[in-house]
Amino acid sequence: MGHPFFALAFHAYALGAMAYVAYLVRPWRGLAWAARICTGAGLLLHGAGLLRVVQAQHGFLEGPGQGVAGMTFLLLCIYLGVDLFYRIPVMGAFLTPMALAVWAPGLLWSMDAQTRDALRGPLLPVHISIALLGVAAFAAAAGVGVVYVLMERQVKLKHFGLLFARLPSLQVLDELNRRLVLGGFVALSLTLVTGAFFASGQGAYWVWQPKEIGTVAAWLVFAALVGARLLAGWQGRRAALLTMAGFGLVLLALVSSYGMSVPVGAGP
Amino acid sequence: MTAEFLCVGISHKSAPLGLRERLAFSPEKMAEVLALLGRDPHELVLVSTCNRVEFYVSAPVADEAARAVRTAIVETAGEQALEHLYEKRGDAALSQLFRVAASLDSMVVGEPQILGQVKDAFELAQKAGAARGELTRIYSAAFASAKRVRTETGIGRMSTSMASAAVELSRKIFGGLEDKAVLLLGAGEMAEVAGRHLVAAGASSVVVVNRTLERATALAGLLGGTGHTLDALFAELVRADVVICTTASLTPILTLDNVAPVLKARRHRPLFMVDLAVPRDIAPDVNTLDGVYTYDIDDIQKIVAENAASRSSEAVKAELLVAEEVTRFIRARAVREGVPVLAQLRAQAEQIARAEVERSLGAWGADLSDKQKKSLEAMALSIVNKLLHQPTAKLRAVATDAGGERLAGAAAELFGLDDAGKKRTGSDNG
Repeated sequence: MGHPFFALAFHAYALGAMAYVAYLVRPWRGLAWAARICTGAGLLLHGAGLLRVVQAQHGFLEGPGQGVAGMTFLLLCIYLGVDLFYRIPVMGAFLTPMALAVWAPGLLWSMDAQTRDALRGPLLPVHISIALLGVAAFAAAAGVGVVYVLMERQVKLKHFGLLFARLPSLQVLDELNRRLVLGGFVALSLTLVTGAFFASGQGAYWVWQPKEIGTVAAWLVFAALVGARLLAGWQGRRAALLTMAGFGLVLLALVSSYGMSVPVGAGP
Repeated sequence: MTAEFLCVGISHKSAPLGLRERLAFSPEKMAEVLALLGRDPHELVLVSTCNRVEFYVSAPVADEAARAVRTAIVETAGEQALEHLYEKRGDAALSQLFRVAASLDSMVVGEPQILGQVKDAFELAQKAGAARGELTRIYSAAFASAKRVRTETGIGRMSTSMASAAVELSRKIFGGLEDKAVLLLGAGEMAEVAGRHLVAAGASSVVVVNRTLERATALAGLLGGTGHTLDALFAELVRADVVICTTASLTPILTLDNVAPVLKARRHRPLFMVDLAVPRDIAPDVNTLDGVYTYDIDDIQKIVAENAASRSSEAVKAELLVAEEVTRFIRARAVREGVPVLAQLRAQAEQIARAEVERSLGAWGADLSDKQKKSLEAMALSIVNKLLHQPTAKLRAVATDAGGERLAGAAAELFGLDDAGKKRTGSDNG
C-alpha cells in the first residue's frame, strides 16, 4: 500500500529537516542545498507512494492516514517552491519538522479505505485534492505567521536573537503570508462549494456536521482576513495572528471530516 | 624638499562636542588656512569632521609650524581649545594619520565615512597647492593601508555608524528601501548624514520637515527631495515609511495621541522611526502602537556597540596591519632618503681628499714624477675609502631598519652634510 515509499520519504524529509535546522546554526549554503535536495527526494518518493495508493484502491485518498499523507505532500511542495523562489531556507527549519510531526501519527493510522460507496464519484478526488491543498496552504501561511510574530517581537522589543540575522524582512514574510492565505482561501471556498454539492446528493447540502461548521467558521475567519487586508489595509502582526486562528479552525474541520466523533458517516 | 611631519588637533577623545563644533571650519575658512599655512616650504592637510579637527603638517622646522597651527586654532575656537589639543610628531604623527584613515580612531571603530572624509580633505589641500611632495607620499601610503584594512579585516563589514545601523534596521523591516518614503524631521547635520545613507540605500523619496522652511528646503535640495515646515508634519507622516528625528525640540513632537490617528490613514503600513535627538522627539509610548517601531539614540547606539563588540578581534587585526604599514612606509622613506646621505658623504670625503692632494701637489708637486703624483692621489682616496668603508656598509645594512633613519641622520650631522643634515635632525624629534 505504498508504505515502503512513505517510510523512505519520511526519512528523506527527516534528513532535510536536520539540514534545515543545522542551517539555522551554521548558515552555509551547502547545508541549505543539501536540505532542499533531501526534501525534493522525499517529495518524489512521497508522490510515488501516493500514486501507488490511489492506483491500488478504487477511490481517491481515503481515511485520515491517506488524507494527512496527501496534505503533508502538498505542504512540503508549497514550501519547497517558496524556498526556491524566495531563498529562505530558515523557514525550512520550522516547516519541515512541523510537516513531519503532522505526518508521523498519520503513518500509523490505517491506510484502508473507508469511504461509503454512495459518496464515490468522479468529482470526489477533486474535492479532496482541493481541500488538502487549502489545508496545506494555510499550514504554510500559519508557519510563516509564527515566524513573523517571533521576528516582529524582536524588532519591537529591540532584542535581536539568532533568527534575526537569518530571516527575511518583515515585509517579505507578510507578503508571503498574504499570497498563501489568498491561495488557501480560494481552495477553501471551492472545497465548500464541492462539499455542498456532494452533501446535496445525499439529500441536504447542509446537515450541521462538525466538519461543515468548522470549515465555514474557518472560511469566515479567512474571508474577514482577506477583506481586512484589501479594504482596511490590515497587515503584519494582526494578519499573522488571524492566520493562525483560522488555521486552527481548518485543522479542527479536517480532523472532524475524517470521522472522529462524526455521527453521520466516516469520510467526506 | 621634505621635512618633519606633525599632527596637531582635537578629536572626540580629547574634547567635548561643544568645542569641536566651534572649531569646525567652513569651506572658505579652510581655503584661507590652507593658503596661509600650506605655503612653500610648508605643507598642510586639514581634516575637519564632526568628530575631529586635525592639522597634518610637513615643515622644515616643527616648532615653528606647530606655533602657527596653534595660533590659527586659537583664532577660531579661542584659548580654551589649547587645553584639549594634542600634538604628535614624526612616526607618532604618521601612526595617527594611518589609524584615522583606517577608521581605528573613530568614535565607532570601523565606520566607513572617515576614509572618504580624509580623502576629501587631502584633495582639497592638493587643489589649494598646500599638499605637494611629502604629504602626497604620506597620504597615498595611508590610503593604501586603509584599503588593506578594509579588504583584509572584517571591521568595515557590519553596520557601523548610527546612520548605517538605522538603514540596516529598516532593511529588516521593509526588505529594500526602494519605493520607500523617508521623512526627515529636523534639518541638521545628523539629518543630512542619515538622509544621505538612506538615499544611498535606495530610498525613493525624501521629505524634510523643519521649524524653518529655509533649512528644510536647503537640505531637501541636497538630497533631491522637498522641504516643508512643521505644519505639514502629519500629512507627510501619512506617506512616510521611515522617519528620522533630529530636532532640538525640548518636548516630544510625536506622541501617542497625535501618531495614533495617523495610522488608520496610513492603512496600517509599518512605520519605522529613528529618534536621534536628545532630548527625544518621540514619546517612548509611541512604540506601543501596532506596526510602529521607534528606536531612540540609546537603542541605536546599543546596536552599534553590539556590532562593535563583534568587531573587536577584527580591530586588533587592523591595528597590527596599520602598524605594519606605518613601518613599511618609514622603511621605504629611509631607503629613499638614506642613499643621498651615503652619496653626499662619499662626495664630500672625496672632495676633501682631492683638495688636500692638490694643495700638497701645489706646494711640492714639481719635485714629483707623474707616477708619484698618481700614487699620492690614490693613497688619499684609499684612506677615504678605508675610513668610509665601515660607515658605508653599516648605513646600507640598516637603511631599512627602524634605526636606519636615525643613523643616517647622525652621520649627516656628524659629517656636517648641510641639506640632508637638517632633514635628519628634524626626524629625531619624532
